[in-house]
Amino acid sequence: MRWLALPVLLFLALALFYPLGRIVALGLGEGFGQALADPYYLARLGWSLAYGLGSSLLCLLLALPLAYAFRYRFWGRGFWLAFSVVPFVLPPLVVAMGFLALVGPRGALGVNLYGTPWVLFWASALYNLGLVLRPLVALLPLLAPPLAAARTLGASPLRAYLRVGVPLLAPALLSSGSLVFLYSFTSFGVPLLLGGPGWATLEVATYQALAQRLAFPEASALVLMQIGVSALVLLGYLRLQGRLGVGLEGSEAPLVLPRGSALGLGLGVGAFFTALYSPLLALIWRALERPSAWVSVWQSPSFTPGLLALQNTLLFAALAMLAVIPLGFLYAYAVWRGARGLDLLGLIPLMVSPVAVGLGYLLVYPGLRGSLLLLLGAYALLSYPLLARALLPALQSLPPRVLEAARVLGAPPWRRFVRVEWPLVRPSALSGLALALAAGVGEFGATLTLQRPEWTTLSLAIYERLGRPGAQPFHEASVLALLLMLLCMALLLGLRPEPPAAGRAHRSRRRGAG
Amino acid sequence: MYPNRWAFWLGLALAALAPALAQPPTLTILTHDSFSLDKNLVARFEREAGLRLRFLKGGDAGEMLNKAILSRSAPIADVIYGFDNTLLSRALEADILQPYRSPELASLRPELLLDQTFRATPVDFGYVALNYDRAYFKDRPLPQRFGDLAAPAFARLLVVQNPATSSPGLAFLLATVASFGEEGYLEFWEELRKNGVRVVSGWSEAYYTHFTRAGGDRPLVVSYSTSPAAELYYSEARPKPSEPPTANLFLPGSAFFQIEYVGILKGTRNLRAAQRFVDWLISRPVQENIPTEMWVYPARRDARLPEVFRFAEVPPQPARLSPQQIRQNRERWIREWTQVVLQGQSAQAVKARR
Repeated sequence: MRWLALPVLLFLALALFYPLGRIVALGLGEGFGQALADPYYLARLGWSLAYGLGSSLLCLLLALPLAYAFRYRFWGRGFWLAFSVVPFVLPPLVVAMGFLALVGPRGALGVNLYGTPWVLFWASALYNLGLVLRPLVALLPLLAPPLAAARTLGASPLRAYLRVGVPLLAPALLSSGSLVFLYSFTSFGVPLLLGGPGWATLEVATYQALAQRLAFPEASALVLMQIGVSALVLLGYLRLQGRLGVGLEGSEAPLVLPRGSALGLGLGVGAFFTALYSPLLALIWRALERPSAWVSVWQSPSFTPGLLALQNTLLFAALAMLAVIPLGFLYAYAVWRGARGLDLLGLIPLMVSPVAVGLGYLLVYPGLRGSLLLLLGAYALLSYPLLARALLPALQSLPPRVLEAARVLGAPPWRRFVRVEWPLVRPSALSGLALALAAGVGEFGATLTLQRPEWTTLSLAIYERLGRPGAQPFHEASVLALLLMLLCMALLLGLRPEPPAAGRAHRSRRRGAG
Repeated sequence: MYPNRWAFWLGLALAALAPALAQPPTLTILTHDSFSLDKNLVARFEREAGLRLRFLKGGDAGEMLNKAILSRSAPIADVIYGFDNTLLSRALEADILQPYRSPELASLRPELLLDQTFRATPVDFGYVALNYDRAYFKDRPLPQRFGDLAAPAFARLLVVQNPATSSPGLAFLLATVASFGEEGYLEFWEELRKNGVRVVSGWSEAYYTHFTRAGGDRPLVVSYSTSPAAELYYSEARPKPSEPPTANLFLPGSAFFQIEYVGILKGTRNLRAAQRFVDWLISRPVQENIPTEMWVYPARRDARLPEVFRFAEVPPQPARLSPQQIRQNRERWIREWTQVVLQGQSAQAVKARR
């Protein structure tokens, strides 16, 4: 089954390694060693590491107790779970505006966090909590039977948890924690907009060196530093995951609480999320402030009309899925069937600088200038890992006995896929797809090397308006930001957000049996 | 039966492809993100010239030019529009442009014609200038001289852009170099730092989050001399107020003169069309459309300005530096600025290391 990996490898080679390699090679001459040892860049590396590690620890610390709360049924449970990944796809400029409205120099809260690391960590939690929370919520109910077994065998609750619970949880914690690490370590927009110049990450420094100055030696040093660290982290994670990986079976639907407790829990969780997402509330308030902008945004003469931007957004996100779906499935299947090395390669899109890749495209594919193919390819590159990451754990937790049974009973591979595997991984696949789709809706702008005006998407229409002074452009931008948020939410809610993959499958099986 | 069916599908495919094959030749123009022109104007030019125009947005002016330089062996566009006089020397040195003497050159303001090799044709100009919030300064005195910005009375009032990431930020840095000289500009910035200047990465953060007009705490911002006019133009109040809520603060030497150019990229296969496009860009109808689309002044002497440009005043003593000076020192100025303003080193120490 290793051949499944071939198309993915080919795609990665064409869309990633070749262009990136050409850009890096341009800098590997004079000045490279100097840039590598530059104390300023070493300081960027240090801060990026601290930001990445701090962010993943923070997200894990917040997500663990929350995931326990999500074992129970309470009012708003599905909504918060779905909403937790919405910020992930919002353009950084929009989120930054929300933060500044709330905790900026004259923010509503009265504290000024601008230019401090605290606002960056808050932003990181707001962006990434969902990435950690959702897999944990899916996993925790599965822990109950093994923990109960340990207790029956005489272990104290603490001991049962440390010896059974923690090892079972560790792969998920490591896997989502390392994703958060990667996203924060390589983050661009938030540090650029909220940190002030003092808290630039490696990625911001790469952008300055490459896009603004074409300083290849410096950019190559930065790109290699970033890939080096990310690859080390990922290798460690893959090794640990290989050693710790344990299949889990059995599941529970959300537990029912007495009405009073459920109400209390719902209020508590709601309060936490409201606090976490308060910058987005500030944004909503701004968008609702001027009703006239809700009318003018659709046909303002000076800017891309809102409807065209909306159409483009949906069209491009949908087109990108044509590449994302096969890539995501092939990649997840190949890794599941034993192509472990691909696991690392497949994550490389998350650890490289889009600026470097984008400029590499110009260098190696000038014929594709401003073509849709280039845009969709670049976009697929950044969002197929989201689908694959969601699929992989679901595939890995498929009960082997069921697959063996299907094989023994003589089902050919395609039939096994259609009748057994697909129904079992469907919820995870859909939630991963929703994430990739929503990322396409929101994050298109960041990956574009060359944008054409007639292709303006929602996020680009927001940037366009924020490029002119005046009240009307500003309020229209706020309205579009709110629309973008609602659109992502609709996508994520609409495509079945409930993550307990195995849980659903088991429940339906139970229904079938009874 | 079968051959017929094949013929049918082939015919259908050809019919579907025919419009694509019959399309007029395409002229690709690489521009910066702020590019904008009236759609009807563009459509009329396309019809008359038998061309299709494709505009590629390449980021900030500097980023866009870098993309053109990077891809010079196989140019990604036929024409590049929007590089300014701070970047002119880089464009000329990279040798990516070919000469063209437009017959319309005679109608342009002579002071804009800096390139004697005719590879860069001026299209428009503007001024990076300080703006202030009128409401804030209603009962308070305004700074009178450029140096006043470092005075205690104006502490923590100013927000500027990082010159390493933003073109108005770079222009403002150049204005300080032109005003205070090689020796003095770092001291001025050191004083500004001690006086609580805030540095952000780009224009929109500075204007929309830190400027008091949009809810920030800084009533002074580095923007453009046309910004007050744009504020009035985009005002939502009905009836429109008679004056914009912001105004220019023209401290002598604090505004920086920017010229934007268009050039034909070497290696274009549409030379004739590219030349025609350049002529069109400096023709009167387009020039008169430029002010309210891109908020800069037209390069033509005979272009009429819109009424709202009453509030886009021209600074009396804008700073200027020659493209050669800028080319030779740009990197060093930015580096020294970073050391003094962002890394907190003393101007003295930085100058000692020169």
